[in-house]
Amino acid sequence: MEKQKVLVIIPAYNEEKSIGAVISAIKEQNGIDVVVINDGSKDCTGKVAANHGARVISLPFNLGIGGAMQTGYMFARDNNYDVAVQVDADGQHNPLYVSRIIEKLNETGCDMVIGSRYVEETSYKSSAARRVGMVFFSWLVFVLTGLRVKDTTSGFRAVNRRVIEYFSESYPVDYPEVDVLVRLHKKGFKVCEEPVEMHERQGGKSSITPLKSIYYMVKVSIALLINSLRSGEIS
Amino acid sequence: MIISVYSIAIAFSLIFLAVIVELVRKNRLQERYSLLWLFFGLTLLILSSTPLFIEKIAVLLDVKYAPSVLFLFGMVFLIIYSLNITVIFSKQAQKITRLNQEIALLKEKLNQEKSEQ
Repeated sequence: MEKQKVLVIIPAYNEEKSIGAVISAIKEQNGIDVVVINDGSKDCTGKVAANHGARVISLPFNLGIGGAMQTGYMFARDNNYDVAVQVDADGQHNPLYVSRIIEKLNETGCDMVIGSRYVEETSYKSSAARRVGMVFFSWLVFVLTGLRVKDTTSGFRAVNRRVIEYFSESYPVDYPEVDVLVRLHKKGFKVCEEPVEMHERQGGKSSITPLKSIYYMVKVSIALLINSLRSGEIS
Repeated sequence: MIISVYSIAIAFSLIFLAVIVELVRKNRLQERYSLLWLFFGLTLLILSSTPLFIEKIAVLLDVKYAPSVLFLFGMVFLIIYSLNITVIFSKQAQKITRLNQEIALLKEKLNQEKSEQ
C-alpha cells in the first residue's frame, strides 16, 4: 500500500505562545505535514509557526474557527491528502495521540474519529458548568441522530478523504464541532470516538467566557435543530 | 388650511420614487435591489391617492382611523425588507468568506513556489 499522506490542520488566532511547541511535537512524528491557518492573528503566530516548520496560510482577515478550519480542509483537498487531523493551537491536545486516532480511522473504517476526553477516565479535569454542557450536547446529538458521542465539542479529530472533500464544500461558520456531527450523520458518514489525554491549555486564553457559553449553547442547539429539519440535502 | 395625511403621502411617494429612479440611474443602487423599493413607492402612491380604497380596508380590518392603514402597510413593508436585507448580506458574507479563503490559499502557494525556486 502506498504511504498515506497525512496533514495536521491547526487553526490559530493569537496563539504565538503555545503554537511552536504544538508544531514541534507533531513534527517529531515522521511523515506528517503541518499546516497552520493563521486566522488574522494580531501577534506573531504566523512567524512562530513558520519558524517551527509548518506551512502557514494567513487569512487576510479574521474569519472565526469555522472559516479557518474549512480553509485547512480546502488545502488538504487541493494537495491530495488522504487524512486530515485537526488539532488545537493551545496545546490542549496531546500530539502523541495524533497517530493513535489516525490508526483508529484506518482500522475501523470510520469516516471521522474524535479524540475524546470522556470515553474513559482520563486525567482531564473540567469545570462543572462545562460538564453540564457536555452532557447536554451529547444528549441532544443522541436525540437527533441516535449517535452516542461523549465528547461532542472536542476539536481533536481525524477525517478521511471523503470527509475532507465534503468539508471543503460545506462547513458550519461558527461553533462547528457539534454541528458537524449532525451533518455528517445526515450525509451517511460514520463517526467514532477514541479516548485521548488532554491538558489544560498552555497559553493564550480560551475564547469561551460564561456569558459566551450560554450564547454558545443556545446557538448550537438552534443550529442543530434547524439542521435536523433539513431533508438530507445539507449544503 | 389643513393638509391631509393623504396629500403628504402622495407628495412623499412621488419624491421617493424620483429618488429611487435617480439612484438607479447613477448606479448607486442596483436594479435588483430597487425593485422592492419601487413596488413600495408605487403602492404607497396608489393607496394615498385613492382614500376610498384605504377607508374600505380600514372598515374591513375594523381600524378606526383609516390613515393608520398606511402606517401598517409601511411597517409590514419595512419588516419584510429588513429580512430581505439580512438574507442578502448572509449571501454576501458567504461569498466574502470564500474569497478570503481562496486568497489565503493562493498567497501560500505563491510563497511556496517562490521559495522553491
